[in-house]
Formats: sequence, structure tokens, C-alpha cells
Amino acid sequence: MKFTTSAMALILSASTVLAEDKVTIEFAYPYSHLFDVTYEAMMPAFKEAHPNIEVKFRATYESYEDGTNTILREAVSGNLPDVTMQGLNRQQILVEKGIAKSLEPFIAGEADFEKDGYHDAMLSLSTFGDNVHGLPFSVSLPVGYYNMDVLNAAGIDKMPTTWDEVIAACETMNANGVDNPIFWGWSITGNWFMQALMWSQDKAIVEKGQVTLDSPEALVALEQMQEIFTKCDMQNLEWKAALSSFSAGEIGMMFWSTSALGAVERSQGDFVLKTGPFPGLGETPKGLPAGGNAAMLTSTSEDPAVQEAAWTFLKYITSGDGAAEVAKTTGYMPPNKAANEIILADFYEQNPNKQTAVDQLPLLRDWLAYPGDNGLAITQVIYDSIERIVTGDATDMKELQEEMVEEVSDLLPNS
Amino acid sequence: MAIAEPHTPVIVSAETAQRRTAWWLTAPALGLMVLILLVPVVIAGLLSFTDYSLGNDTFNWVGAKNYDRLFSRSTYEKMFVATFIYVVTVVPVSVGLGLGAALLINSMGRIGDIYKTIYFLPVMATLLAMAIAWEFMLHPSIGMVNRTLEMSCGTILEIIPFLKNGCADRFPLWLGDKDYAIWVICFIGVWQGFGFNMVLYLAGLTGVHRELYHAAEMDGAKSGWERFRLVTWPALGPTTVFVVTISCIRAFQVFDTIEAFWPQGGGPNKSTYVMMFAIFEKGVQQNLIGIGSAITVLFLIFVMFLTLIQRWLVERKVHY
Repeated sequence: MKFTTSAMALILSASTVLAEDKVTIEFAYPYSHLFDVTYEAMMPAFKEAHPNIEVKFRATYESYEDGTNTILREAVSGNLPDVTMQGLNRQQILVEKGIAKSLEPFIAGEADFEKDGYHDAMLSLSTFGDNVHGLPFSVSLPVGYYNMDVLNAAGIDKMPTTWDEVIAACETMNANGVDNPIFWGWSITGNWFMQALMWSQDKAIVEKGQVTLDSPEALVALEQMQEIFTKCDMQNLEWKAALSSFSAGEIGMMFWSTSALGAVERSQGDFVLKTGPFPGLGETPKGLPAGGNAAMLTSTSEDPAVQEAAWTFLKYITSGDGAAEVAKTTGYMPPNKAANEIILADFYEQNPNKQTAVDQLPLLRDWLAYPGDNGLAITQVIYDSIERIVTGDATDMKELQEEMVEEVSDLLPNS
Repeated sequence: MAIAEPHTPVIVSAETAQRRTAWWLTAPALGLMVLILLVPVVIAGLLSFTDYSLGNDTFNWVGAKNYDRLFSRSTYEKMFVATFIYVVTVVPVSVGLGLGAALLINSMGRIGDIYKTIYFLPVMATLLAMAIAWEFMLHPSIGMVNRTLEMSCGTILEIIPFLKNGCADRFPLWLGDKDYAIWVICFIGVWQGFGFNMVLYLAGLTGVHRELYHAAEMDGAKSGWERFRLVTWPALGPTTVFVVTISCIRAFQVFDTIEAFWPQGGGPNKSTYVMMFAIFEKGVQQNLIGIGSAITVLFLIFVMFLTLIQRWLVERKVHY
């Protein structure tokens, strides 16, 4: 709210300066609790550099799912924003439906685009059929958050590196009277943690247009989750409640995206917080899904000035100083070498907790989209199934896997 | 030479003319009614036999496949169970409490107005805003509800098994527990709804003549219960039919609390996945218009059925 007001104040004060050749573009982003501070930090400099571009912020999307769905509906009703932030796993459907425009014409017009320093690995997340359709804005990886006070009090001084060690730590904590040892972020958007356990075994959840939920790796993932949930006696907390409980110092270990680090640190109680790499199944993970979002151009305007302004804004927030704010205000990594290596040179030394995700960058893999129109519904089926493990409703993982496969096949294009 | 037929003007009787004017005058209203109320229902009915997904140019007719899935998949079974539990719990409790509160308030003088206002407050408050307040209160570790329950630990109150277990282990998660979630929703539904029923009953009570009570007393109905059974309850018949129907429809329509508590998924294990939320999830969140329409049609049939029962009861002359 504070941000909206300040953004409005900015718009108002700027509009008096250059009323004649002012270009207005509309923009929407998800997760206000993470990103409000980022845009708030970013916009004054953008205003200064481009006084004739007025950025109108639309209501934020509640989640990536909400964001994609909103765009799909706006495409039907014909009131798309000019630039939108979409989850990395939701870009495909917008490209397939022709809603997100290719950025190639704009990139061709830039003299030194490569020098702007976009990471190839991250740019490839938004490349479809050799055409760049989005510029990654923020990239995250799953990490472990540890409340060292709780861990030390229970007699644990080493951060776990495998799930077996996590479970052993849970059991020690339970024995030492820690009520709430763990929160494992199964409920995170886009089945991200399911994909994390699959990628840890080097298995993609979608291969050649097929969802690989029937693979032995998927069963291993489900069984691993069941083991964590039951042996750790994990409470089924809603994720926002879990984040606030962790910040309040009540939870020993939390496995979540590095993205929340900024928000957690801002509301952190009096305890020592450390992050550690995402544990693996018996060994170090072989891969981890890249989370985060990318800026996509969805402008339907015929006016080249608006298109150009949208591109300018899109480029600004994903590169250089704009992108550096991402790392400063959230736990996300900027997708941009220039931001990471030059502007943020000693930032990571001062913020070792934010370094953890950067160290895991070699493991970066695609956060996969489910094929067809029903991607959102498939996400929900997998979510519901994992929830049944958490609540203890499903006990036989083999059976659960079969039900999941059946329900997902209902939703695939060729059913 | 042909004889010219005499040209007779068409004579329209006054009655026909009047009828025609009447049709002309009602046409706009009828047209709008069909367009705004009936056409969408028909379209929803038609779409429920397709696999239409919002944003697509085409769709396929899939016959009764959507309905088949509604009755064969466990998700929708959970939907029916949740809706049924909610309606069966909230309707009798909120009607009963509404009636009780109305009778108590009616027997009081001035002070009754204060109670009336208090009980009516939750009805006026937006359920969505209230849901956020409830969410804070029900937070498992820092919420007011569990904090209060924890205060009973170590006191005499621990003889209650629920508190004893809670103190020994932990108190319920409320919103995160599949055994409690639906009851929390029911509780909030009753809390929010009974004030409305109370107001309806208060209005109904003003229509009960004082003389009837006096007459009943003279006829030997001495106790309060007898007077209620013989006079108040029968006289409130039409009100009760109306209150029950309205409560049923409102209970079927519960949505905002669930959307506020569990924007994704409809509660732990889908234990609060009520029909209205299912329609929203399928039709709006996931753009699966086909299945969303099928649930909508089913929903309409339920509500229609309830209305028909009400008509039937009213026509049986519940008013004595």
C-alpha cells in the first residue's frame, strides 16, 4: 500500500514535467510481499533516467499461477498490460498462445546487448525456438534456512547435507523438546519442490511432452517426502504462517526458496540465521530447478513509442543497477553478470546467507512447464497429492503415484 | 364483368388490441429477463458438455464426460462431502441460534436492542475481512485461540480430555488440520449467519398476536414451553420456511472464507472444497470452463430443488 502511494506520487510529480511527449506503459508483477520493496528501490532511478516514461503499476498477482491466469483472461478480454512478470515455468504457454512477443527485434536494435551481461544459462530459460521471449528478472534456487540457536540448543552444530541427516537432526530436536523442528516447503508454487527432488536425481518431470510421474524417480521423491514429513513430525502449516513462525524463531529448519531471504531477514526475531545448500538424496543434488520470474512483453499497442518504452523499462529492470536491487532487497539472484560481479562485488561477502544460492548456480536446471492448456490444473493435482502425504491421508506411495498418473493423464492434451 | 368484392377493413377487437399492447409493453422486461437470466444458464448448460478452455478458439463436444468425472473422481467426492457437511451443520445450528436469540431478545425490554446490535455485527462485517482476522487468531503458535487454550495448562481445567491432550502434545492446527478445518469453517459460518436469522425471526415475532398467548394461557398452557409449542412455533411457520431456505442457499454459496484461508486447493486434503470454491477453481483459476460449467449446473439443480421444496411447503399452508 505504501508502495502504491509512493508510486502514485512519483507518477503525479513526474507528469507535470513533460506532459506532451509522455508515454504510459502498464506493468504487473507477482508476490507483493517480496517485490514491493524492490520496485520501490528501483523506480526513482528509472524515473530520473527516463522522465518521459510513465509506468503504471497494476494490482499485483497473488502468485505465479494467478499471474498466468490473469494474463490469459486479459488476452481474451483485450486489456493486456505492456510488461508482465511471469514465473519461469509459465512462460511457455504464453509463448505458445502468442501472447508474449518475441524480444528479438528489440535485441537486434541494441548495439551492445551481450555486453549488458545476461547469463547465457539464465537467458536460455526464456528462449523458445531460438527466440528470446523474456528477460529473467530474478532467479532463485531452493536452500535450507537454519535457526542456529534452536539447532545448537538441541546439540546440533553442523548443517545437514542429505535428507537422512535432516531427519536425524529432526529426531535429535524432537528428543530435546523442540516442538516444531522443520518446515519443508512442499506447497511452494509450481510443484517446485517436487521438481527439486526429481532434478536432484537428474530426472526431468517432463520429457518429450510426457509427464514422468510414473517413473521410479517420482516414486523415490514421494517416498522421500513421506519420510521427511512423518519422521520429522512436520506440522501442516500454511506457508505464510510457516514463514512467520520461522521468523519468530519457532522453527529449527526451513526448506524454501532463497527468494524469501529478504522478507525473512526483515522480520527476523533475535536468533542466528544461516542458510545452507539444499540437501540431497544420499548425495549432493545433481540438479535443482531455477525459480523466479521473467519480464515478458505483452503489449498490444500499435504505437512504436509505447513498444519502445516497454522495452526500455524491461531492459532497465533486468540489467545493471535495476537488477542489483533484486539481490539487495530479496534473496533472489539477479540474472545478470554485470549486476552480480561488478555492482554486487562485495555484497555477497557481506551477506553470506545470500551467497548460498549463488554457490548452487552450477546445478541450475529448467523449472518445467506441463504440456498443454491444463498446466495450471496439473500443478493443482500434484499439489493436492503431496498435501495428502502431509496430512497423513495417503500412506501407500505406490498407490498415490498411480492415482496421480491417472488424474494427470485426464488433463494432458491427448486424453 | 366481375363484381368487385366489397373491401372490408380488418376489424381488430378491442380485447386483442389490448392484449397486443400488453405484450409490447412487457417485451423489454421479458427480453432482458431471457437475455440476462436464462441465456447464461443455457450457455453454462451447453458448455458443460464441452472441453472449452478460456482463450481457445475452438472446443470439442465431449458428451457427459464432465459429469462422469464429477461422479467418479475422488476430488469431487470430497467436494460433495464438504458441501453436505457444511449445509447440514450450518443450517440447523444457525436457524436454532437465530430463533433462540430472537426469543430472548423479544422477552427483554430496552436492553434487547444492545444484544440485537451485537449479534447483527458479524452479518454487517464483510466475511472476507473477518476471515483475515480469524486467520490471525487461528495461527497455530502465535494465534490468540491457541494462546488462550495454552493458559489452561497446569490448571484444574486440564481434566477436560481435549485440553489435557493439547497441553501434553500440541493444540490443533485448526486451518491446517484435515479433521478440524471444515468445523472451523462451519463455526465461522454460524457465527456470521445467525444474526441475520435472528433479525428475520424478530420480524416474524412482531406478527404473533398477544391475544393468542392470553387465550392459550386461559386454555391451560401454563409453562413457557407449552406457549412456545402451541402458539409461537406454529405462528412462525412461514418465517421458518423462509429462514431455512435462505440459510440453505447461503450455506451452499459459502466461498469467501475458504478462498481467504486456502487460496490454493480448498483446505487440507480438500476437506473444505465446497462447490462454490470448486466452480471458482476450475472455471476461473484454471480456465477449465467445461468442468466448471458442469459443477455450476449441478449447483443450480440443488438450489432449484430447495426452492421447489419451499414452494411446496408454502402451498401446503404452513401458516395456520
